[in-house]
Amino acid sequence: MKALAIAGFELVRRIRMLSTYVYFATFLAAGAFFTIAAGGGLAGANVSFGSSKVFINAPYALNQTITALGYLGVLVTAAMMGRAVQQDFEHETFHFFFTSPVSPRQYLAGRFLGTAVVLTAVFSSIAVGCFFGIHFPTVDQALVGPGRVAAYLHPYAVSVIPNLLATGAIFFALGALGRRMMPVYVSAVLMLVGYLIAGSLMKDLDNKWLVALMDPWGNRAQHLTTEYWPIADRNTRLVPLEGYFLWNRVLWLGVGAAAMGLVFARFRFAQPSVSARKATAPEAAPPAAPAAPARRVEANASGWAYLVMLPRLSWLAFRETVKNVYFAVIALAGMLFMFVSARALGSLFGTNTYPVAYQVVELTTGTFALFMIIVATFSSGELVWRERDARMDQIHDALPIPTWLPLSMKLLALLGAEALLTALILVSSLLIQSFKGYFHFELGLQLHFLFTVFFPDIALACVLAVAVQVLVNQKYVGHFIVVLYWLATLFAPQLGFEDRLYQYGQSPQVTYSDMNGYGPFLAGLRWFNLYWALAALAVAITCHLFWVRGVDASWRARLTGARGRFTPRSRLWMGAAAAGFVAAGAVIFYNSHLLNPFRTESDEQEARARYEKRYRSHLDDPQPKILDVKVAVDLYPTERRADLRGTYRLKNETSQDVSAVLLNVPWDVTIRELALDRPHALESVKEDGLHTAKLQSPLKPGEEAALRFDLGFGERGFRQRGEMTAVAGNGTFLNSDLLPHLGYQKSRELVEDKERRKFGLAPRERMLDRDDPRGLQRNVLNGEADFVGFEATVSTVPDQIALAPGYLQREWQQGGRRYFEYKMDGPILDFFSFLSARYQVKRDTWNDVAIEVYSHPGHQYNVDRMVEAVKASLAHYARAYGPYQHRQVRILEFPRYATFAQSFPNTIPFSESIGFIAKVDPNDPEDVDYPFFVTAHEVAHQWWAHQVIGGDVQGAEMLAETLSEYSALMVMKEKYGAQRMRKFLKYELHNYLTGRAFERKKEVPLSRVEGQPYIRYNKGGMVMYALADLIGEDQVNAALRAFLERNKLKGPPYPNSTELLADLRKVTPPDLQYVIDDWFERITLYENRAIKAGYRKREDGKFEVTLKVMAKKVQADELGAEKEQPLQDVIEIGALDDQDQPIALERRRFDKSGESELTLVTDRAPARAGIDPMNKLVDRNVDDNTVRAEAL
Amino acid sequence: MDLVIEGLSKRYPNGVQALRDVWLTIRPGMFGLLGPNGAGKSTLMRTIATLQEPDSGSIRLGALDVLRQKGEVRRLLGYLPQDFGVYPKVTAWEMLDHFARLKGISSGKQRREVVDALLRQTNLHQVSGKPLGSFSGGMRQRFGIAQALLGNPRLIIVDEPTAGLDPEERVRFHNLLSAIGEEVIVILSTHIVSDVSDLCREMAVINQGQVLLGGDPLQAVEGLKGKIWRKFVTRAELADHSARFPVISSRLFSGRTLIHVYADAAPDASFEPASPELDDVYFAAIHGKIGGAAPPPVLAGVA
Repeated sequence: MKALAIAGFELVRRIRMLSTYVYFATFLAAGAFFTIAAGGGLAGANVSFGSSKVFINAPYALNQTITALGYLGVLVTAAMMGRAVQQDFEHETFHFFFTSPVSPRQYLAGRFLGTAVVLTAVFSSIAVGCFFGIHFPTVDQALVGPGRVAAYLHPYAVSVIPNLLATGAIFFALGALGRRMMPVYVSAVLMLVGYLIAGSLMKDLDNKWLVALMDPWGNRAQHLTTEYWPIADRNTRLVPLEGYFLWNRVLWLGVGAAAMGLVFARFRFAQPSVSARKATAPEAAPPAAPAAPARRVEANASGWAYLVMLPRLSWLAFRETVKNVYFAVIALAGMLFMFVSARALGSLFGTNTYPVAYQVVELTTGTFALFMIIVATFSSGELVWRERDARMDQIHDALPIPTWLPLSMKLLALLGAEALLTALILVSSLLIQSFKGYFHFELGLQLHFLFTVFFPDIALACVLAVAVQVLVNQKYVGHFIVVLYWLATLFAPQLGFEDRLYQYGQSPQVTYSDMNGYGPFLAGLRWFNLYWALAALAVAITCHLFWVRGVDASWRARLTGARGRFTPRSRLWMGAAAAGFVAAGAVIFYNSHLLNPFRTESDEQEARARYEKRYRSHLDDPQPKILDVKVAVDLYPTERRADLRGTYRLKNETSQDVSAVLLNVPWDVTIRELALDRPHALESVKEDGLHTAKLQSPLKPGEEAALRFDLGFGERGFRQRGEMTAVAGNGTFLNSDLLPHLGYQKSRELVEDKERRKFGLAPRERMLDRDDPRGLQRNVLNGEADFVGFEATVSTVPDQIALAPGYLQREWQQGGRRYFEYKMDGPILDFFSFLSARYQVKRDTWNDVAIEVYSHPGHQYNVDRMVEAVKASLAHYARAYGPYQHRQVRILEFPRYATFAQSFPNTIPFSESIGFIAKVDPNDPEDVDYPFFVTAHEVAHQWWAHQVIGGDVQGAEMLAETLSEYSALMVMKEKYGAQRMRKFLKYELHNYLTGRAFERKKEVPLSRVEGQPYIRYNKGGMVMYALADLIGEDQVNAALRAFLERNKLKGPPYPNSTELLADLRKVTPPDLQYVIDDWFERITLYENRAIKAGYRKREDGKFEVTLKVMAKKVQADELGAEKEQPLQDVIEIGALDDQDQPIALERRRFDKSGESELTLVTDRAPARAGIDPMNKLVDRNVDDNTVRAEAL
Repeated sequence: MDLVIEGLSKRYPNGVQALRDVWLTIRPGMFGLLGPNGAGKSTLMRTIATLQEPDSGSIRLGALDVLRQKGEVRRLLGYLPQDFGVYPKVTAWEMLDHFARLKGISSGKQRREVVDALLRQTNLHQVSGKPLGSFSGGMRQRFGIAQALLGNPRLIIVDEPTAGLDPEERVRFHNLLSAIGEEVIVILSTHIVSDVSDLCREMAVINQGQVLLGGDPLQAVEGLKGKIWRKFVTRAELADHSARFPVISSRLFSGRTLIHVYADAAPDASFEPASPELDDVYFAAIHGKIGGAAPPPVLAGVA
């Protein structure tokens, strides 16, 4: 069979090529590397598949590794498949094949088959690598589960091979019909764009089908199929070929088949058609040769003349690079991606922010950078190979031009092309802002960022790409190596390589804040720019030395050439570059390693393990509690430092003597004084931040003492990462972490089992049992105090306002500084913060409570909304729970270095990026007003945390976070109406389901929550809302009021969730008591699904809606394995209109699980109907509760 | 089996009329197709070799319709193109073996024999294990003819085969071609007149897509007896003479400019009679002095 002969020949040929082995080895190494790293076998590496409870050889994990590396393989697929036919055009061997008695179909089939076999063999190396990695000696065997051959083969069957065939067919067809490699590259880029756009659309929960189908590799579809799988599923189930994933495969295999059909139909054994430019017209007989010219022309071959020529030549090369279809397509694809991503700019819950300059420019550079890298990778190859591809190289190399000229010219052309793309980014950013109706462009900032922060990295990348092409001297292998390099730098930090000093082109990240500008980030960036620029210069000089000139490209010839070109002048340049490089490196090293110690992720973990190993024995030592705090904080924003001086009043509230007091001060804080007012000896272990004050005579029960401290905190020089931003030029935000803390700090221990095992620590429970009396003696915040008195004096520079919890007693200026004295009128939690910035203040009142919002000038978009939210919240909570305990509420903006809002006593710091620049569209019912929501949540904490706080046990966070989330939901419902809550609840459910899939240890019921955000916020909020909906908001609030009254501002023993549940049970009717058990005490999920819905109009004008639904309830264990439960529950059924607003809702009791038929009467024709249409219940699947209602 | 070309025309998209109503009958043996660059030779060669479609006309090889029965034609075809490349890392032996298999020699033993024989015939046996990328120009041409000869083709098309070969290689190549059997149609397309005069028993001159003249080279030369005149001139006189006389060619001969003129009688006393060569036939045809724009349907003067 001739087709087999052709396939066989191709196979044998490829087996002989070095590149095949390079690919095989690379994928094998990558598979092994990632598996070993995920298994903890590489010191310093931090790779995980989302949770350390998922085995590294679990079907899910293997699927991730194999398919992810398979995506990298698209480059290899494109190179091989595209060239399968195209190589006969490139090598000009087509004449022979096309005139042989082989049919075009046999030829095509043979080439495709041969290449497909080679590719399959190459990609099989990934599984081999994984297998090898699993058995590597340093891997933590606790992470290795039972091995299954199917788990290794299944990803190939459903992902790798279909992708190879589908995308390969497209590349094959393009290479065969287009006869050039460029269309193949461009199609690969377009596929990538589809994948990326799908990714950015994924954030919006309404786009799932579009997302699933857009991505040719099925990655997004797989994700949608498995996103809610809990740990148990991930360890046992193979990714099923169903739903989103199945249709994605069908679609793209269909596209591949169509491509093959096209190429089989259209491909001909024919001479490539002569293009208009190439056809030669016969010449008329030339006229007789003219007489020789009268004067001779002088040729000027001096170095300067060529230097003068350089701009013009670079311009010509630039035009070549830029003025072609493929560049335009890549640029357009990138712009498309930018615009699609911009739709969801900064969004939370699907609501966007104002397109402020820094945000837009971060988005556009973030999305477009990839395309610029693609251009650098491929254009560098095309540029370096231009003369050789055109067969002009011999003519060219024999010209009297100096060797540095073509090198410089190509480099400049490439840089020019990238500069053009950067300008395109600017234009896109401006367009995006304009389309969103925002005209405060901040052009200066954008230009500065694009050309001095972003562009240098790209320029370095260009130099590298060119260098690889020059040195490797094989175009396609060169591409592959460059791409490998980008990926290596991407994954390097995860694999433990965090120091940027040895990663070419890497520089510290810069975060721009409207409040603080570039802050401390530019210093490090500039030094790195200089450092790498000098390296790039050295690299460029090396390229010059080893430039291929002439026909002999062997290394011997190149070495000879290099020796010749290494003139004294060259040596001088090289020496200068090297010297500068070393000098800059020294400065960076000094700053980032000596002045500010360089701590990797591993180092941090080690420090924490050490702390636990050394001091855990002191966990239950009796320690005094803090009664009162007086502190003076001096802030020096421009010098990036702060001084903290103060006194604690302590009392021994235990029944035992205290002989030693453990004092924790962060190790990087300077201690000028730390002393008790009683005779003692201070033993300090600076690296652990622990100081033990051994008392000469013990502190007796009931006795008091005082602690004085004088601390300094600040930063000098710059870091590579983790730049200190607490004290900022504008927007300082310090909290009480810097102050001394008493006793053994459990919060410093390592939490994750995997990490603990790495350092030889046994796994431990995250928190004490819910009812453990020891835990109830402390509150969950910290064990060193109950409620304390507080007084603070904060000083700052004259043009800033400084704030601390408390009422402003006095403000004055002295010695060129501005002082503010604050005092609390009652005891508060031992949790405070200090802020300082140039603020604009908005003042308002609610009853006798002063409301103040301190915002950055220019960020006033949502200030009124926040004030309104405070008023609504204060009113609602006062009515529902009891009076507000303070006389002021202050909201303070701080820079976007952190993205949360926090509640301190009557003080709420709120991040710049999450509420202040939100853009809530009042006309869009889908837009969730999250600044309002977050404000309401934080104000609720003034009750739930600052009035009553739980003990240091499981479920304590439910008392603070769940109740605050619930309170905020109720305030939202009051303002926007119950109908608008559906979208919100949907996001809460989505976050719960995805959160539990990434559970790091074990899931627990709500009343035993151990810090998991997805439970205490998302599940908690949903459950409480559903409870209020079921038994009545007033009942729930009555229970909460009773609970609050009993425990308000009370010290130990602190309340726990058991007590709260008892209060809730008291207000729950007997037939609904199951709700408390199911929702709070167990992990319960419903599997409610609407199967069919139909309606008909009745004679009285109403509509009778018939529903066929499925209801089921399951209980999950800590890893997510499920068991069905008998159903006796009240579930809501209902109908929605075409705006997804409810038109009828009714509660029904379902007394058996499975399918049921129900009817419902509505006033209007329904668009959709189903079971639990408002997503009030925790359900396994978010989308299937309703279906389209059909007219009967 | 004859190759009959009737009314073949081809116009490229950029307007160039490459073939203009070409009629030719080619019998077995060496046939030379002579013409300048851009005359349409390669277009004609590629069309016969099934690589290109004409706009109109027909080609028959024996009973086969070349344009519609490409598969069958390819079984009988050997083609050496003007410009070709090679897979650089594959050896000569492997490549020939692969082509042999594609040409239908399925028995491994037979293939080995055939490939061995061809490699010896083209004097490439010693380097048969070397990669093709290391071959010199002459060696590549010989490889090209070797693959064209695979499978006992009945129609061999050789397009500009000796351009770029040194004199010794040229002789070797000529020997190879002339050893091809008498029953085979070999079409040699070239602008090197001596190739045709050395090897071919029939020829045609083509220019600007049209066949200007055809037939036996010797007879064509005979036909020019007494019509060619020569004179040595200086560089300055050349322009003047070209204007006044029907100069068909000018070249340098021992450093002096020698012109040939076509005329029934000596143009003036300064001219000497020249003994005509095939070159003169070629130049005279190209300059329109002999031959015709519309050739007769059947070639005249065939032995």
